[in-house]
Amino acid sequence: MFYLYLLLALALLVAATFIAPLRHKVWVAFTAVTVAAVAVAIPSIGVLAGAGEIELIQSIDSPLGVGSLSIDALSAIFLLIIGLAGMATILYSRGYLAHYLTKKSSAHISLHYTALALLVLSMMLVVMADGSFLFLFAWELMTIASFLLILFDAERAEVLRAALAYLVMMHIGFIFLVAGFVGIDSICGNSSFDWLAVCFANGENTYIFILFLLGFGMKAGLFPMHVWLPEAHPAAPSHVSAIMSGVMIKTGVYGVMRVVSQMSVPDQIHTVGIILLAAGAVTGLWGVILAALQNDVKRLLAYSSIENIGVIFIGLGVATLAHAAGSPIVMTLALCGALMHTINHSLFKSLLFFGAGNIYSQMHTTHLDRFGGVAKHMPVTAILFLVATVAICALPPLNGFVGEFMIYLGMLNSVRDGVNTLYAAGGLLALALIGGIVVLAFTKLYSTVFLGSPRHHHVAESEEVDSLRIAAMAIPAAGIIAIGLFPQYAIRIIEPVVESLTGTNVAYIDGYISPNLSRISLTAILLIIVIALLYIVKRRAQSTRTVAKGPTWGCGFTSPNIRMQYTGESFAEGLESIATSLTQNTVEGRAVGKSEIFPTQHNYNIRHKDKIDRLLAEWWVELLRIINKRIMKLRTGKINHYILFALLFLVAIFVLSLLNLI
Amino acid sequence: MGILFNTLLMIVVAIAIPGVINRTRALLAGRKGLPFMQHVRNVRLLLRKGTVYSTTTTALFRIAPAVYLGAAIVALLFIPIADLYPLISFEGDVICFAYTLALARVAIILAAMDTGSSFEGMGAAREALYGALIEPALMIGFATLAMFCGYTSFADIFEHEQSFNLHLTIVMFLIAYLFIKITFVESGRVPVDDPRTHLELTMIHEVMCLDYSGVDMGMIHIAGWLKTACFSMIAANAIAATCCFHWWFAVPLAILLTGISVGIVESTQARNKLVRNTTYIVTISALAALIFFVGYLLQLDINI
Repeated sequence: MFYLYLLLALALLVAATFIAPLRHKVWVAFTAVTVAAVAVAIPSIGVLAGAGEIELIQSIDSPLGVGSLSIDALSAIFLLIIGLAGMATILYSRGYLAHYLTKKSSAHISLHYTALALLVLSMMLVVMADGSFLFLFAWELMTIASFLLILFDAERAEVLRAALAYLVMMHIGFIFLVAGFVGIDSICGNSSFDWLAVCFANGENTYIFILFLLGFGMKAGLFPMHVWLPEAHPAAPSHVSAIMSGVMIKTGVYGVMRVVSQMSVPDQIHTVGIILLAAGAVTGLWGVILAALQNDVKRLLAYSSIENIGVIFIGLGVATLAHAAGSPIVMTLALCGALMHTINHSLFKSLLFFGAGNIYSQMHTTHLDRFGGVAKHMPVTAILFLVATVAICALPPLNGFVGEFMIYLGMLNSVRDGVNTLYAAGGLLALALIGGIVVLAFTKLYSTVFLGSPRHHHVAESEEVDSLRIAAMAIPAAGIIAIGLFPQYAIRIIEPVVESLTGTNVAYIDGYISPNLSRISLTAILLIIVIALLYIVKRRAQSTRTVAKGPTWGCGFTSPNIRMQYTGESFAEGLESIATSLTQNTVEGRAVGKSEIFPTQHNYNIRHKDKIDRLLAEWWVELLRIINKRIMKLRTGKINHYILFALLFLVAIFVLSLLNLI
Repeated sequence: MGILFNTLLMIVVAIAIPGVINRTRALLAGRKGLPFMQHVRNVRLLLRKGTVYSTTTTALFRIAPAVYLGAAIVALLFIPIADLYPLISFEGDVICFAYTLALARVAIILAAMDTGSSFEGMGAAREALYGALIEPALMIGFATLAMFCGYTSFADIFEHEQSFNLHLTIVMFLIAYLFIKITFVESGRVPVDDPRTHLELTMIHEVMCLDYSGVDMGMIHIAGWLKTACFSMIAANAIAATCCFHWWFAVPLAILLTGISVGIVESTQARNKLVRNTTYIVTISALAALIFFVGYLLQLDINI
């Protein structure tokens, strides 16, 4: 009962943002989120410590069905991520929105904070709901809240367009989910996740899985349903991108895990595993290649989120295949890796978007080639961003490596044991290529923004952001470093999830994984010690020698200037020449021709658009528009027409029921 | 004791390989050539010199050589020499090895971009692309080893002398060939990159270190030797596992294999045009996939 009251109290608190004074709205939202986070974190930790499933609210009787909120190990881990990211996001938003307080109306700001708190709460509901109605309700609430958040800058036409595209795509996904639940209902007579096990009991009804995969994949950004991500993220404020990209898209991963965990027939699991692995590999590769080609900070980060979802799905696919083949070690490793990567990605992606927010709030642009040398003006941001960059490149000694390590090791073990050898090798190939290109994408991002010389006068006018924002960024940064250095402890919170999903014994999982992870931890610490020692020795050696300063060596060219610096576009030129078939380039202006010996001034702007994007501008969109126009003719605005329609509808129902058609 | 000996021998290999390369090249060109230890002398000289830092750079530029060398040192500690045991070994250390070297690459790319020089940008962009494309070759190479030897750590893969087995011998020789190819790419040798080139526009690795001098430059050189030693030792181990599995066989093999092959290629081949490099590297990755597939078929005992 306590939790039911808490839910009501939280709803009131969220509504209270509207009456709070302008400067304190953020704290109302923060309180709401913190209370919720703590309230669910305590039972979550209990569940992860082995308390079994906890039911927070039993059977809310609603007009449309019965649902309950409960926490099992899988929900628990997502609840922890959501709570932490939610708190960091709202903390960060205070500084980010500070200068909007005078520009936007009070209602506008209230709406934003209400939506922000609502997004966090609805995500918590999503992972706790097990009944279909409650789940769909929370899911829809999440979509609406995030839609409102994207709309923050609604005056800009592209923001409106992106937000609407997001809303439409989410509802197409929603239809698939509804269809999935209807499918369960028609087979089992009840439509909660638990009944899926009955549906899948004989290895039939794989189509229900496909429906759910489409629905959840839309949220997660699986290829080719990812097109909303690179549009929505540049449009949304940075902290919104952080929570959407870091956490919200993971609810799609959560959903897929829920569905797949209910399967029991090996043949079916095998098929599903292949689908997941293929989806992961394609999504990952597509995402990373497109990410490397982008010239907008937030668009690049959005594509990299798609890539990371791909990595998670590769892990899930390998785990599922291994489950079908009855290979517990591979399954455990890959599943631990996928879950670990889910946590890791929410940490470093939030940090990256916060960093992008810092530079946007100082320089008011996200175009890569307008930056350069920002590290000198915003050193703390630069360091935190570097931490996230190294982490996302999956390099030791930080956390990104740990998750990918386990997925890799799962695949290597799969190859070694001769189970699903070719699939595992395919996954390995994809993941290795993804891992390589991520380095290209993020060295490009980091170096064009933070290093080199400034390409625009805005850079020189920028300064470090307020300390509250830095504090908010320190939360994910601390997580990144802690998991990177001590993965053997971090894995403890994942093991119960793997146990509850697959029924493998925790002690067994731990006995295999922990020793390897402690070696990783030792290696990471050794790496840091070696680097520190080398640096100290170098400094010591230099102290007795001349250390001079001078301009960058121009290779004999005496008047190099800033515009000759490598830009983001030129950095990815090599990859672009390979990946021409994935993108459609829109060019403004004219490039300098090869025969122009003394070129005059040129304006040249190139944008690499996703080929999939074009699908949305194809003939069928036009067709939909025409149909829509015809239908709109029915909207006459005359009440007598509408009564006629209602009458016709009733007659149709009557006739159909007479004919026993419905 | 064995572990320390292993590390020491790896350092010997790292120092000897550039000497052998120079000797081979001199021999083939009919010159007398540099003294065998000239490269060590060069680095010793660098370590005694002062440094000039560009005013454009940040602290990252100064830390990067330490990261580069540190990562290369840690990577070296994973590699066993035939029957000796490496310092660090655990299941999946092959992955850790690959990613530690990736850390080195990221450090040097960022440092190059930190100078704001267009030439160093060129080098960094090329290094990032080639590094991305060679990664699958490395991983699939490791997967083939895991499939054939049944382990996922270097120390276990190369732990025992395998009893003679035609299939294994074929695959191991192919793997050795693959890793020598990877050595060419990773250590910036002809035909991918030419360390002796004089035109910044066509450089890759060398151009990234244009602004380094003194101790920093010395550290980068040393890291380069260590990286080369790691890859050539993997290749040598693969061959040694099929015939004579002892460190006294593997060490000279590693030195000569890379030394002579790089020397011969550098004396007889021109470097690729830059646009051809991508094809060259993707071909190596494709080759790795092919080797994996051949290994897979051989393991299934299908008569081919």
